[in-house]
Amino acid sequence: MASSSSSSSLHPEPPPEWLTRLHTPLPPRPARTSHIPDPPGYSSKSTGKQRNQQVLSPSTRPAIETDTLKLKKAWEIAFAPSKQIPMNAIMMYMSGNSLQIFSIMMVFMLFKAPIQGLLMTNTAFAKFETDGTRAKLRGVKAVYVLMQLLLLGLGVWKVNTMGLLPTTRSDWLAWESERQPLERAYFAFG
Amino acid sequence: MWLQVVLLLASCAPLVLAIFADEVNHVDFHYALLGIPSAQRTFFHRPSSSSNASLLYTLSEKSFLGAVNPKDGSIVWRQNLARWSSDAAAVESFLRAGDGENTIVSALGGCVSSWGALDGKLSWMRHFSNGPVRDLELLEHESSITNFNSRDVITLTGDKTGIIRRLDGGSGSTKWEFQDESGDLPFQVSTSPAEIFYVSLQPSLLKGYKIKVTVLDARTGQQTKHQILSSENDISTPESVLFVGSNTASPIIVWTDKGQKTLRINVVGTKQVHSVSIENETGEEIRRVEVKAPRCLSCLPHFLVHYETDSSSWAEVYHTDLHSLAVSKAYKLPRVSEKSVFATSTRFADVYFTRITESEISVMSSASKDVLGKWLRKQQADAHVFHAASEVVIKSDSAAVRFATVLDSGDWELVRNGATEWTRHEALAGAVFASWVEMDGGEELVHELEIEGHESLYGAYVHRVKRHTRDLQHLTRWLRELPKRIFTSLLTDEVSNLDGFGLAKLILVATQNGRLLAIDTGKDGSVSWNIKAAETDNWTIKAIATNSGFATIHAEDGSSLSVNITTGRIISRNPGTIRIKSVAMLTDEPSGIVIGVKYDGTPLQSINRPGHIVTLSDDGRALGWSIRNNKSPLWEFLPPRGQRITQATCRPSHDPVASIGKVLGDRSVLYKYLNPNLALITAVGDNSATFYLLDAVSGKVLHSTVQTGVDTKQPITSVISENWFAYSLWTDVTATSDAKGYQLSISELYESSVPNDRGPLGSANNYSSVYDLDAPPRPYVISQSFMIPESISHMGVTQTRQGITIRQLLCTLPASNAVIGIPRPVLDPRRPVGRDPTASETEEGLFKYAPFLEFDGKWYLTHSRDIADIQGIISSPTLLESTSLVFAFGVDIFGTRVTPSQAFDILGRGFSKLQLLATITVLTVGVIILQPMARKKEVDLLWQS
Repeated sequence: MASSSSSSSLHPEPPPEWLTRLHTPLPPRPARTSHIPDPPGYSSKSTGKQRNQQVLSPSTRPAIETDTLKLKKAWEIAFAPSKQIPMNAIMMYMSGNSLQIFSIMMVFMLFKAPIQGLLMTNTAFAKFETDGTRAKLRGVKAVYVLMQLLLLGLGVWKVNTMGLLPTTRSDWLAWESERQPLERAYFAFG
Repeated sequence: MWLQVVLLLASCAPLVLAIFADEVNHVDFHYALLGIPSAQRTFFHRPSSSSNASLLYTLSEKSFLGAVNPKDGSIVWRQNLARWSSDAAAVESFLRAGDGENTIVSALGGCVSSWGALDGKLSWMRHFSNGPVRDLELLEHESSITNFNSRDVITLTGDKTGIIRRLDGGSGSTKWEFQDESGDLPFQVSTSPAEIFYVSLQPSLLKGYKIKVTVLDARTGQQTKHQILSSENDISTPESVLFVGSNTASPIIVWTDKGQKTLRINVVGTKQVHSVSIENETGEEIRRVEVKAPRCLSCLPHFLVHYETDSSSWAEVYHTDLHSLAVSKAYKLPRVSEKSVFATSTRFADVYFTRITESEISVMSSASKDVLGKWLRKQQADAHVFHAASEVVIKSDSAAVRFATVLDSGDWELVRNGATEWTRHEALAGAVFASWVEMDGGEELVHELEIEGHESLYGAYVHRVKRHTRDLQHLTRWLRELPKRIFTSLLTDEVSNLDGFGLAKLILVATQNGRLLAIDTGKDGSVSWNIKAAETDNWTIKAIATNSGFATIHAEDGSSLSVNITTGRIISRNPGTIRIKSVAMLTDEPSGIVIGVKYDGTPLQSINRPGHIVTLSDDGRALGWSIRNNKSPLWEFLPPRGQRITQATCRPSHDPVASIGKVLGDRSVLYKYLNPNLALITAVGDNSATFYLLDAVSGKVLHSTVQTGVDTKQPITSVISENWFAYSLWTDVTATSDAKGYQLSISELYESSVPNDRGPLGSANNYSSVYDLDAPPRPYVISQSFMIPESISHMGVTQTRQGITIRQLLCTLPASNAVIGIPRPVLDPRRPVGRDPTASETEEGLFKYAPFLEFDGKWYLTHSRDIADIQGIISSPTLLESTSLVFAFGVDIFGTRVTPSQAFDILGRGFSKLQLLATITVLTVGVIILQPMARKKEVDLLWQS
C-alpha cells in the first residue's frame, strides 16, 4: 500500500477523460427540450451525489415542498426507536433474569443503542435542518429523545428485574453497622 | 469488595461436605485410648493355642478393657466396662485369661463378663447384687474344659458375707454356690486342680485378723476342711497380706511381720507357716515388699520377693517343693541403689523374671541365677517406671524380652530388647480441660510497629530501616530453605501443607492426674511436651489464659501456674488460697486480667474499670456484678421454685458476624438480634426444662422457653452463637406435644418480625442497658424443633476468622461415639412447615421442614472412627476463612479441621502445579522458537508485496 501510494504521488497523472466526465454534473437540460420524455430505462438521477445536488438545489423543487418532505422524514426517524420497543420487550422478557452471558450482552446492547442515539440526536436530524424546518424539528427531536428514553427505560426495567439495581435494603446492608451495647459483660460460667 | 466476592463464593458452596477417604489421617488425628493400665490387670496373652502371637491385654484405671497389638501399639479391640457398672471408679476390677484360650474374663463391681480374646465380643455377662466381686479365678481343672473350650470361672462376691460361685465358662450359668456364713471378711480365692481355697480374714478378739482358709471341693462346692493361721499380730488390715498366689501348682499366702523383719509364707492348704528373716544389710526402712509369681498351673512353683527402700532395691527368688511343700530360698538378686520393677513371664513350665532398673534391663530364669539377657537402659527424667508386663522368648542360648511399662508421665511404652517400639499417651484419657493457645502471635512485630507509630517521621523511618537490616540475617536461612519449600509445595497437596495458614496450633490438655500436655495440630496431633503440673489425683481446671508465649492455668483450688508454651517449662506457680468456682477473663484487656469467682458467686477482686461480670452461685442463682464492686451484685436471677440452674452458656469470645441481617427472597432484610451480652441459662425442674435468655448487663429476661415432659437424667445441652441458640433434650409425650424422643431445637433471634425494620431502637448505633429502660429490646424469636435419632451430650459451634463461612453445630453423640457437624442451613427455623417452599424461599435456600432430622452420613466428622466418652468439644478459627479446627477430648482425643462451605480459599487436590509449570514452559519454548520465524515472515511479506 505504502509503495503504491508513494508511486502515485511521485508520478501524478492527469485523470482520464471519462472520469472527468463522470464527475461533472449533467448540464441542465435546455428548456425547450423539457417536454421531450426521457428514453425508457433512463434515470436522470444517476449517482447519489448528483441527486443530492439536485435536491439541494433550490431551483429544481419548491422549498416548501422539500421542507414538508424533510419533516415527514424526520418524524419517521423520530418514531423509529419506538418500533424497537415491542421487540426488545419480548426479547428481554424471554431472556430470563439470571446473570448469564446472553442476557448480560442483550442488556448491554439495550443500553448502548439509546444512549448512542441520544448522543447523536443532532447529527441524526442535521440533514433535515433548514431555516424553515428548524422550529418544527424541535418537537421532532423531543419525541425522538422521548422514544430513546423509553427504550432506556426498558433497559432499566430489565436491569431491575435482574436485581442489579441497588434499590432494596439488602443492597445497602454491608454499609450498615452492628448496634453496639455501651456496656460489656464478661461471663464466669466455668 | 473482597468481602462480597468471598461471600458469593461461600454461598455457591454446597451445604454439606463429607470427609473423603484420602483425607483421613491428613486432616484429622485420633488417639484411641484406654486409660493408664493398672499393674495387676495388664499382661501378654496368647489368644490362640495354634499361634505363638500374643496380644497385650489390659483393664485400665478408666475401666476400659482392651487388647493392644504389641507390634505397633494399635488397639485391636476395646470395651468400656463402666457402661455396665454404675460405681466403676471406686471398686476393684479383675482380668483373667487362660494361656492359649480365646477367652478373657473381667470383673468390675458386681459385673462379671467373658469376652472373646481375639475380637472382643461378649460371650456372657452376669450381674451379682450381693456386693462387688472380690476375686475372680479361672478354674484349672481337666474336667472343667467344656465344649466351648473355655474354663469355668470362680467368683468371690460380697462385702460382709462371701459367696463363692462356680460359673460355667461357656454360658456363665452358676454351677454351684457356697456361702460363707461365718461373717469373716471375704478376701480372695485360689484354686488348685482339685480344690478351691477360699481365703477370708477372721477378726481376732483384740486386734488384727487371722487368716482363714476354707477348702472347697471343686466339683460340688462342698466344704471339705478349713484352717486358721494365727496371723493376728502381723495383719492389722487386709492390705497387710502381701500376696495370695493363685492358679499355681502350690498356691501361697505371703505376709510380713509389723517390723518388716520376717517374711511369712504359707503354702495354702497346709498349716505350716515358713518364716524367713529379711536380709536388710543397710538397715534402712523397707518401704515396699512385693511378691511376683506366675499365674499358671503348669509352671514351676517359683516366686520372687522384691524389697524396696527409699534408695535401693533387691529381690530374692524362692522355690516351693511340690512334695514336701517346703519353701526354700534359691538365690538373691543383687542390691542396686536405684528403683527396680519386676515382671514375671512364663514360657511352658519355665518362669522368667525381668528386672527393669533405671540403668539396665536384665532377664533371668527362676531356676538359676544366670542373667540370660542384659540391655542398657537410659531413663529420661520424669520417666519413672511404675510397673511392667513382660514376655520373654528364649532362643537356644539368648533371650529376647519385650515388656510394656507404664511411666510416671502416664505414657505406656513397649520396649523390645532395650529399644522403645511404641509409646501410647494414656494420660490423655483423663483429659478434663483443653484450650487452644496461640503459638507465636507475632507480638514482637506488633511491639515494633507500636514504637514506629509513636516516633517522629524521621525516627520511624530510621527504626524501620534498622528493623529490616536486622531481618536480613534471616535471609541466608530463608534462601537455604527456599528450594526445599518449593519442592515440597510442588510435591505435596495444598490440603496437607497448610501449617503456614494458622492450622498448626497448640492445644493444652490438662488431665485428671495433674499432667499438662501440649498437642500440636500441625504435626498430626503429636504430643509436643508432657509435664507434671500438679501433685493431685483430681485436678480441676477452670481456665487457661494465654499471653505472649505463656499460658496461665487456673485451677479450682485457686492456684495458678504459668507455662512456656513452646517448651513446657514451668515459669511460676502461685499457690491458691480460696477455692474458685469459675473464672472471668477480661479478654479485651491487653494483659488479660483474670478474676476468680468464689463458690457463692462473688468475684474475688474488684478493678476500677468499666464492665460487668456474670457469675453463678452454688445455691442456683445467676448474679450480675459491676467489675468495680464485688460487695453487692447489680442483679440476681433466681429461677422459679422447683427449678435449678444446670447450665449457663454465652456466645464464644470469638464470634464474628459477617452480615448483620438475613436477606430474604424479595431482597428485604430481617435484621439479626446481635447482642454480645446474651447469656443462655438452662433451669431444670422435675420434668421440665426452661431456657432463659438474659441480658447480662441488666439481668433482664429477654426470652424464655419451656419444655415439658423432659427426662432430666438424660443429657440437656445448649449452645448460643451469633443470633441463634440451640438445645437438645429428651421429651416424653405430654398434653401439648406428641413428640417422644430426643429433640434438637433451634431458635433464631431477630430485631423485628417485619423485614427492613430495626426494631424499637431504630437506627441507633449503640444503646445502654443500664441507662435506657427499654434497651435492649426483646428479640423476635423464630424456633423449630427436630426429632433426632440419638442423644447429644455436648454442643459447640465452628468458628472461622471472619464468620463469613456458614457455621456448623458440632454435636457429640455418646451412643455412637461420634462427633457430627450439622450445617446451619439445615437447622433454619424459617423452613416452611407443611408446604413446599415458594420461589423466593427456594432462593433463600429454604426447603420443606421435616420433623425428623436424620443425621446424614456426610455430617460425621469422625467418619468410621470410634471416639469414646467425649467430655468436651472446642473449635478455633484459622487464618483461612474457610477452615475451622475442631478438637474433642474425654477418654479419646480427636482433632480435625472442617470446611463448612468447602475449602474455597485453597487450591484443591485437582490443581496440579506441575502441570501448570509444564504448560508455562512449553508455551515459553514455543514463543521463543516461533518468534524469529514470525518476524522473518513479516519482513518477507513487506518486501514481496
